[in-house]
Amino acid sequence: MNSATFKNGLTWEQILDAVNLGLILLDNQGKILLWNDWVAEHSGITAKLALTHSLESLFPDELSTSFKAALRNALQQRLPIVLSNALHRSPLPLYSLPIKKDDGIRMNQSIAISPIIVSDEEHYCLIHVTDNSISINRERVLKTHTERLSQEATTDALTGAYNRRFFNGRYESEFGRAQRQNTELSLLMIDLDYFKNYNDHYGHVAGDKALIAVVDTLQKQLNRPTDILVRYGGEEFAVILPDTGREGGQAIAEKLREAVANLNIPHEKSEIADRVTVSIGIATYQPGTPSNTTLVLEAADAALYAAKTAGRNCVRFQPA
Amino acid sequence: MPNANDIKTLLVVDDSRVSRMIIRTCVLQERPNWVIIEASSGDEALEIVDRDTPNYCTVDINMPGMPGTDAATKILSKYPTTRIVIFSANIQGNQQTSASSIGAQFVSKPVTQKSVAQALEFFEGGK
Amino acid sequence: MIAPSEMQLDALTEVFNVGTGRAASSLSEIIGDEVKLSVPRIQLLQASEVNTEALFLKNTRLGAVQQNFSGPFNINAMLLFTEERALEIVRDMMGSQLSLSELAEYEQEAMCELGNVILNACLSAMSDMLKLSLNSSLPLYSVDSSESILSKVFPKENQPVILVLHINLVIEKRRTQGYLVFLLSSASLENLFKHIDQFISGI
Repeated sequence: MNSATFKNGLTWEQILDAVNLGLILLDNQGKILLWNDWVAEHSGITAKLALTHSLESLFPDELSTSFKAALRNALQQRLPIVLSNALHRSPLPLYSLPIKKDDGIRMNQSIAISPIIVSDEEHYCLIHVTDNSISINRERVLKTHTERLSQEATTDALTGAYNRRFFNGRYESEFGRAQRQNTELSLLMIDLDYFKNYNDHYGHVAGDKALIAVVDTLQKQLNRPTDILVRYGGEEFAVILPDTGREGGQAIAEKLREAVANLNIPHEKSEIADRVTVSIGIATYQPGTPSNTTLVLEAADAALYAAKTAGRNCVRFQPA
Repeated sequence: MPNANDIKTLLVVDDSRVSRMIIRTCVLQERPNWVIIEASSGDEALEIVDRDTPNYCTVDINMPGMPGTDAATKILSKYPTTRIVIFSANIQGNQQTSASSIGAQFVSKPVTQKSVAQALEFFEGGK
Repeated sequence: MIAPSEMQLDALTEVFNVGTGRAASSLSEIIGDEVKLSVPRIQLLQASEVNTEALFLKNTRLGAVQQNFSGPFNINAMLLFTEERALEIVRDMMGSQLSLSELAEYEQEAMCELGNVILNACLSAMSDMLKLSLNSSLPLYSVDSSESILSKVFPKENQPVILVLHINLVIEKRRTQGYLVFLLSSASLENLFKHIDQFISGI
């Protein structure tokens, strides 16, 4: 490694080692000529070990196919290539510090590959890697996908309904209250019919708009402040109806089903209707019966399944 | 086993005149005795095959009007012994398998001596 | 500017057909779904002829990925989509139900990569088929009013010619329209057509 002086006692190597991003320089055969400290620290492989090897021989089976293809293209075509973190989580085996290779959780990376052309015969490839994991904005997205991280927000960003996390807490507490006060409680599980087909056919943007419209209309039918509408999954919703028994619950469920159908959102790819519809399963907690949150939830789920099997766009009840 | 000196007819279907010229030149270099006829669209190709049924056919996948794959399917359904190569710069996933199932084969564009050699191999040896 | 001959345009179209075909192939590997890219139309225009009305883009915000290519000729290349389409494309590429604000965070780098794949594929098809070699800068993404982005396209002393490719991009069966715009000086254009003529005469 050429430790050419930049100024006085300061070498170029020292400067590159101080840079807070990964720099790997390859020759036109893909052999490693430069491996800065950032890369060494985040890969657990020293420059001494890395130099003169190719990335593939250093990391057999650990490089993503996209990265290998990008590198081949960069070396052959000599054009710059970016691998966005949006489309490629972690092409290289790099980890956040301190390195715990055993848990296998790679750092989120943004990679750019720049050719450096000295002459027709002499060209190099510079790979720069930045760590995307620390981006504050990225954390927000990670939170919605990882349940174990704590989250302040209790509403679903897209529809404005409460989210699953909120449901868990609220359901427990309402159920507990019903048990203590000897009141009934009904639980509705609502699922949009053939929604994957809808997204495939009309696109995700239309799918999102449909979800928003459905939530709006469901919300309008629920008059009592204690009735809680929750976005339970991608196209699945739950409604907690305290102080509501089987008859009342079924009436409300039927009202909700009809309201969605009356939205008349065209759905060419639904196999049972020409518009967006929902299937609804309902289960009820009866005071004095030995029951719990899980049993009622499972019953509501089974009821939803029965509604689907019965041909969708309908309401079914299942005893808990 | 076909001989390189045999006289065969090849129909080249491509809306690009330059492409047709390249295919013609490359093929004639390897098979100077072949007769090459041209069509600039799928529709034109279908008219020609009825008059002058070729032994072999190349089709460009990207043509205005009838797509290359449709043209290939139609020709094969009428003349199932024809061998067809579909030229494409974008061969994805299971396209090669579905091509085989109709009796055709994909070969990558751009058209070069090498890709033409692949086409010839399919025409004469065949898989 | 001398108008190109039919053969020259035909050859150029074929180059871009191969380029966009390769781009679609790379994109489908990255995204994991079927991608189709086609060029239904090519226009060669004087810079003075290009304005937002000509491209039907009045009063819209555009997402633009730009790379500067240099070699035997210099080309300032841009991939253009309306911002609304750009966000839809980003969502299609990432394949999940992200909210609008989440999409906006990823828009910049995802569009950069998309533009990079398409521009590199087109220009490398040009290099391969016309037997020349080009260098490029890294892609830059910006979002701005169409007037503002296209004003960079308007007459600069040395860049009076614009090659506009209308493109259709299909990801996950959703079809989007955009433009590939190449700015070059008339000297560069002449040089490009010289290479095309060599390519044609070599057939």
